[in-house]
Amino acid sequence: MFMPLEGVRVIDLTHYTAGPYATRILGDYGADIIKIERPGGGDPARRIGPFYHDEPDLEKSGLFLFLNTNKRSVTLDFKTEKGKQIIKELVKGADILIESFPPDVMPNAGLGYEELSQINPQLVVTSISNFGKTGPYKDWVGLDLTLYAMGGNMWGSGDPELEPLKTAGRMASFHVGYAAALASALGLTNAELRGQGENIDVSYFEVTLQSIDGRMQKLLGYQYNNQVPMRVSPGASLGLGSGIYPCLDGMFMTTAGAAQFPNMARMVGAEDILTQPGWDTVAARSRPEAAEEWEATLIPWMLERTTKEVQRACMEFGVLGGPVNTIENLMNDEDFDARGFWQTIDHPATGPLIYPGFNSRIHFEDGERPARRRAPLLGEHTAEILKEIGIEGEEVSLLRSEGVI
Amino acid sequence: MTATENGRRDMTGSPVPGTGKLPLEGLRILDITVVWAGPYGTMHLADWGAEVIRIESIKHFATSTRGQMARPPLEFVRLRNTGMGYVDDDPGERPWNRQAIFNTHARNKLSVTMDLASPEGQEALERLVAQADGFLENNVAISMERFGITWERLSAINPRLIMVRMPAFGIEGPYKNYRTWGNHMEALAGHPLLRAYPDEDPARGPSGVPSDAAGGVGGALAFIMGLRHRNKTGKGILIEAPTAENFVPFLGDFVMDYSMNGRVYTQLGNGHLFLAPHNVYRCAGEERWLTIACRSDAEFRKLCQVMGEPNLADDPRFADSLSRYQNRRALDEAISRWTIEQDARETMHRLQAVGVPAGMVMDESDVHADPHVAERNFFQEVTHPEAGTHKNPTIGFKLQNTPYEIRRHAVMLGQDNEYVYKDVMGYSDQEYQKFIDMGHVGMDYDPDVA
Repeated sequence: MFMPLEGVRVIDLTHYTAGPYATRILGDYGADIIKIERPGGGDPARRIGPFYHDEPDLEKSGLFLFLNTNKRSVTLDFKTEKGKQIIKELVKGADILIESFPPDVMPNAGLGYEELSQINPQLVVTSISNFGKTGPYKDWVGLDLTLYAMGGNMWGSGDPELEPLKTAGRMASFHVGYAAALASALGLTNAELRGQGENIDVSYFEVTLQSIDGRMQKLLGYQYNNQVPMRVSPGASLGLGSGIYPCLDGMFMTTAGAAQFPNMARMVGAEDILTQPGWDTVAARSRPEAAEEWEATLIPWMLERTTKEVQRACMEFGVLGGPVNTIENLMNDEDFDARGFWQTIDHPATGPLIYPGFNSRIHFEDGERPARRRAPLLGEHTAEILKEIGIEGEEVSLLRSEGVI
Repeated sequence: MTATENGRRDMTGSPVPGTGKLPLEGLRILDITVVWAGPYGTMHLADWGAEVIRIESIKHFATSTRGQMARPPLEFVRLRNTGMGYVDDDPGERPWNRQAIFNTHARNKLSVTMDLASPEGQEALERLVAQADGFLENNVAISMERFGITWERLSAINPRLIMVRMPAFGIEGPYKNYRTWGNHMEALAGHPLLRAYPDEDPARGPSGVPSDAAGGVGGALAFIMGLRHRNKTGKGILIEAPTAENFVPFLGDFVMDYSMNGRVYTQLGNGHLFLAPHNVYRCAGEERWLTIACRSDAEFRKLCQVMGEPNLADDPRFADSLSRYQNRRALDEAISRWTIEQDARETMHRLQAVGVPAGMVMDESDVHADPHVAERNFFQEVTHPEAGTHKNPTIGFKLQNTPYEIRRHAVMLGQDNEYVYKDVMGYSDQEYQKFIDMGHVGMDYDPDVA
């Protein structure tokens, strides 16, 4: 089994969600991730819940544990002169450096792209920031909510009579991290092919602007017909047979629309309607009233069935639909189990827990499946990594007493 | 064309040439992706230099890819205001070349039409696979098996092929033939219920598809990883990048909370689990909204100053983060009473000037008028022969040593037939004519295709 990023070393100066997600992905593909954490507190994500048994503890944050598998942790204050020298020493043997500080922090610390590329001309430096390194908003602050509001498809999300809604949790941050992983892989490809390093500027705002989550399309669509489309309820952009409906044991989301309606009619045993006036052609079914008329047939059918029964019917008849699940339902879903998606990872502070599995599955010839190493304890690998760059013994004690590590 | 030493091909003569600097130049990728997630993945690969050839058919319309229908009736086009429709709301003679969704992600790609249901089409496919480095698709397994598209067959034709398969639930398991869009898969994964309005029927919640964004990036990244595997081993590889498995990690903290504590959240809306304020507030004007969040007492104090109510920061209900969270409804009301009189953009600037996280909810016209977006050259003007000249969104990151540009407009159906049949597959003029005569090759769907 050869992991695609085996032998690739990443210096990870990121924190919170987006950057650590990027390096989590690179670690999954086999890269050696050296996570630089602040002495004392470490990555602030360690202080953010959810905590194991709700006990706040630097080693018990579910967010941190999830985001930082397959990494080694070094505590290091890179704003000290010695800390900076250690970063520079690490950079010599690195392929990628990822950071997520505001745009001026790294250059002000003497660790900007110019300095780093002099040490290692093939180095790929990936910077993740709210608005990118240039432009009038470059120093603005933000978090998932405010950045998604500006860049993402928030204005068009929700009910027309209510306020716009963001995506759940830290979703936009994860998307930014994923884009940063892709950008880093592209930079690495060029570095290896052409011997030219790269200076990558990932803008959270722009990643959400170019997301296929409805935003990118609408930005071109606005150019096409000057439409600023109002919010619509779920699936309702296609109207007929589209929405969230009550079932015996929960709710179910379907999408049909005038074009794909026939399969849904067959699914509920109402295929006769397809020959009736007002229902026999796509144009006829595009009547605005058709959606409400159809619900008189669809909703009673749904109410007699469980979400699982409706799901099976959708699969059989080729109707687009899915159960409106809780996370608990998801984690008990037959498919993810059968595919072996979930992973059990042991950790000294929490014992074994179930984690989301790999984003992709490489079909290795020998059928092997890679494993994940648990998230590191704060500074767990400090001595080990310093030794790799020739720092050991008393020198380590000195760095420790000076607060550098 | 022969493979060069580093596994890259000489692409001289390609209709969408590289710039000599892009990371994926000299790689040819066959693309049978549909709807959003898959095409978004191949968009990234085409953007960065790969020659991405969309394999399409003029005898069959792939649902929801070049629009909802090949030739939608005007009633259908104008029924719904989705903002993702046709140029000037007019499907025109070739609607499949004029639709916003497709035209957003199909830039820099090529298109060939083939009839995979016929033996001749199958022979052409084999020739094409032999000349490719990658194959990306996101159809349910049974749809691909119908055309004999399996890893076993394709890798036997071309042992160096990197195949990335990205249907919603992968190609193995009970859901391998379960066809969904992103929103249904997200429903199954728990997203709509998590993001729904706190005090309303969950059916009123939104239906976006961040999962398609996740799946697309995951597919593109998987290809690059497959390429590294090939560079090392000399062999191709199959990688599954199911959209669902790319999306569930985006809910990782919720999964962990269930895993650690058995906790199940629903209907969180715009709320945060411990920060307040953290919400969207109505501003002056029609559908003008501003999001505001405070992460510390200091940020909250500054917000109160900008509001002209500095004493609010000393109100015992709001004095510390826990109190603010417990009294967040009262706090939201106080902020709303202020914002309803304010201009959203101006207030965003005033708050950001003192370091308070604030972002207006931008509609599409706001984005097009935004000075930061303009200064960063996020849009690029592109002329499309059948859709006209428009500003296209580009990308979310810049490689500062590798200039990015949209090198060609969204590809029209069958636009590159001659190049692909003759130059890539190596058919003679006579043989190419046969494919035309058989109805495989064209730039229009057959008249009976819906």
